[in-house]
Amino acid sequence: MSSKRHSILPAVSAGPKPPVRFSSSITIADSALLTGTNLITISTESVIHPRAKLDSLAGCITIGRRCVVHERTTLGAIGTSGKVTEQAVTLGDYVTVEVAASIEAGNTIIGEGTTVGVGARIGAGAFIGKHCTLTPHTEIRAGEVVPDFTVVYSNGMRRMDKRGVADLKNKGQARQIDVLRRMIPSNPAKFT
Amino acid sequence: MAPLNPYTYIQCPCSDSASLGRPTDLTSPTSADGDEDNTFDPRAPRANFSLYPLEYLLYCEDCHQIRCPRCIAEEIATYYCPSCLFEVPSSNLKSEGNRCTRSCFQCPICIGPLSVTSIETPPPSSTLLSPDHAATPHSTYSLICSYCNWSSTEIGIQFDKPNGIHAQLAKLRNGGASRLTAKERKERRKELSHRGGEAAVAAAAAVAANESSGGQDVDLETQFANLKLFCNSQLADPSAADNGFSSLGDLGFSSPSSLSRIMNLYTGGKLHDPRAKSKLGAMREALAADEGLLESNLNESSLITRLHQSDFLDTASSTQICSQPPNLGEPHLHGASRFNSSLRPVPYLLRTKRSKRCPVCRHIISKPEAKVQTTRFRIRLVAGSYIPSISIRRLNLPGPNGPAAPAILGDLLDPLKPVHFLLTFKNPIFESLKVTLGAPATTPGRFPSKVTVLCPQFDIDANTDVWDEALKDNDRESSSRSRRRAGTESQFQVEVGKIWERGRNWVSIVVEVVPASLKLEAGQDVLKEDEDVLEIPMFVRIEWEVENGGDDATSGPGRDKDQKEKRELAYWCVLGLGRIKQG
Ligand SMILES: [Zn+2]
Ligand SMILES: [Zn+2]
Ligand SMILES: [Zn+2]
Ligand SMILES: [Zn+2]
Repeated sequence: MSSKRHSILPAVSAGPKPPVRFSSSITIADSALLTGTNLITISTESVIHPRAKLDSLAGCITIGRRCVVHERTTLGAIGTSGKVTEQAVTLGDYVTVEVAASIEAGNTIIGEGTTVGVGARIGAGAFIGKHCTLTPHTEIRAGEVVPDFTVVYSNGMRRMDKRGVADLKNKGQARQIDVLRRMIPSNPAKFT
Repeated sequence: MAPLNPYTYIQCPCSDSASLGRPTDLTSPTSADGDEDNTFDPRAPRANFSLYPLEYLLYCEDCHQIRCPRCIAEEIATYYCPSCLFEVPSSNLKSEGNRCTRSCFQCPICIGPLSVTSIETPPPSSTLLSPDHAATPHSTYSLICSYCNWSSTEIGIQFDKPNGIHAQLAKLRNGGASRLTAKERKERRKELSHRGGEAAVAAAAAVAANESSGGQDVDLETQFANLKLFCNSQLADPSAADNGFSSLGDLGFSSPSSLSRIMNLYTGGKLHDPRAKSKLGAMREALAADEGLLESNLNESSLITRLHQSDFLDTASSTQICSQPPNLGEPHLHGASRFNSSLRPVPYLLRTKRSKRCPVCRHIISKPEAKVQTTRFRIRLVAGSYIPSISIRRLNLPGPNGPAAPAILGDLLDPLKPVHFLLTFKNPIFESLKVTLGAPATTPGRFPSKVTVLCPQFDIDANTDVWDEALKDNDRESSSRSRRRAGTESQFQVEVGKIWERGRNWVSIVVEVVPASLKLEAGQDVLKEDEDVLEIPMFVRIEWEVENGGDDATSGPGRDKDQKEKRELAYWCVLGLGRIKQG
């Protein structure tokens, strides 16, 4: 009996190492998974949690400033179309992608300050406006346009966020990143 | 098709009209011996209301009978708020209603809990705030839903203090204006009467124009106060009123005497007010807004244009409107909005903890702990600890050609092919049970399947202490194995009249079923919902003996101390075995 516990998941194929452009102030966990052939750009102070998967096979991935990409998320998942575009996924500044959310490739754009909830799925080519909230398990169809300040909740119901707390939220995000930087050991060298 | 897990439902004897509300008669056998007409049909429409899983049933120890949610008398033990878990005394309930009056609110949009959050930044002047709020530097508070991001600022409501939200909210109208107090209302009325002294009667015609603007902001409360004041003044001084109908005298509904008579009916006062007799004369109707007249505003064009301009999602659903608490400060019906943007936070409805009594002997059979925070029960006589549980397993016997495939739950049953099911009866009580089973030879319904209970009569050993049993004998294990009557050597032969296997407090028996073919004959209706489910009704009769307690009144000196009392319980149950393959 071996005392070591083996994962039942198949070993992840290493694949090609994608070209990356990292800002010097980012935090990226050692066990984050970057694959694909196109450029992955991560801007100032963004945080990539362990086991987040960034796949640039279908186009470039660009992550803005002070974004937080949580565990087991997939950015640039190859959707049903399988189309290759120049930009696969673009995250604006202050975007939070929560645990197990998946964003398909295909010029998908997430606007500034938007929160993508736990387990949400965003289809290829969707355009999410600024400061939106996609509650857990929201599904956005491919190519859909979600205007700024929209809250998508309860199986696709929509309403407008009228709290006017966008600035406050951004400040909170900055504080959270401060904490995360101390908690997640960063190893950008592994990916460059 | 969704796979079907085998299930057992028990029919509470209360639905049997013969034993309604009474314990089953121990002397007259209610068993199904030969009485084919009484076979319980699980597909009968009424059966839906009397079948329960064992876990739902309670048991009355005094009547020795199963009690289901239908035959139980409930009593409310405590009222409490599900959000803050505070107990609400029932006296408060009468005065303050059935909602939490602390700071517990639900989101009117998504029913999520609202939390009180301070608004740090000074709100922009565009929000509907009274000027004095803008001047004060201290922070204000709002209710915020963390799920859908609804905020009470959307309806223009902010709070000065973070506690006592319920009381603060009650004083606020949508938009932040505070509700009129009785004093303010009086002042406003005075103002009105100054403006138009001659308003009384002649105003009626002129009302239309100025009322359409002024009448709209009359809220329910103000209208009621106006109307009440007017009626009181009429009752006090009917002679001042228009006496046009005085000839009708006491007959009309609007005469003071009949009104006071009606009021007396409700208030329980004396039938006739002596004063009323002296004052005869009709009351007139309210004619102006300050007398409580509110004109119907049938012109809804502004609302319709707003509906045209808005999205479907902006309108409130009927559930949202229904869950709105009554708000006295809101405009009258015709001014009431159908939009999401006017929904107010919903205070949590109170919940109850209930104790349950047997309706026959009034003994308590379930009583929760009085403290709201605990989920334990002081008394809870669940049926599961009095009557045997029945679990069902498909039995795949090795056929003549090789070993059987492992039985998979939810497998479809092949029509016209015999299948075996293993029923395991587990005895929860400390006496040994004698079980008698009765099942009709064919299942009721359009597709009769053949049913054979191979061993309809057996005993189950008492539910003795596990450790006692284990320590009693070392070779117990071998002896328990040998109890398998069918015998391991004889290739699991199913024998009629023999128990399949028995253990410390359980017995397994075999039921053979030949599922019916679901082929529809010409002229037959299509298969109804769940008609392919193989359900067999089974009558269970259990007998056991209990020691006669020494304190029992019947145990006289002549009686034997060791005499045992015989108990019996009989009920129908339904075994859902699986779905029959179609076509
Ligand atoms: Zn009942
Ligand atoms: Zn409460
Ligand atoms: Zn909400
Ligand atoms: Zn009873």
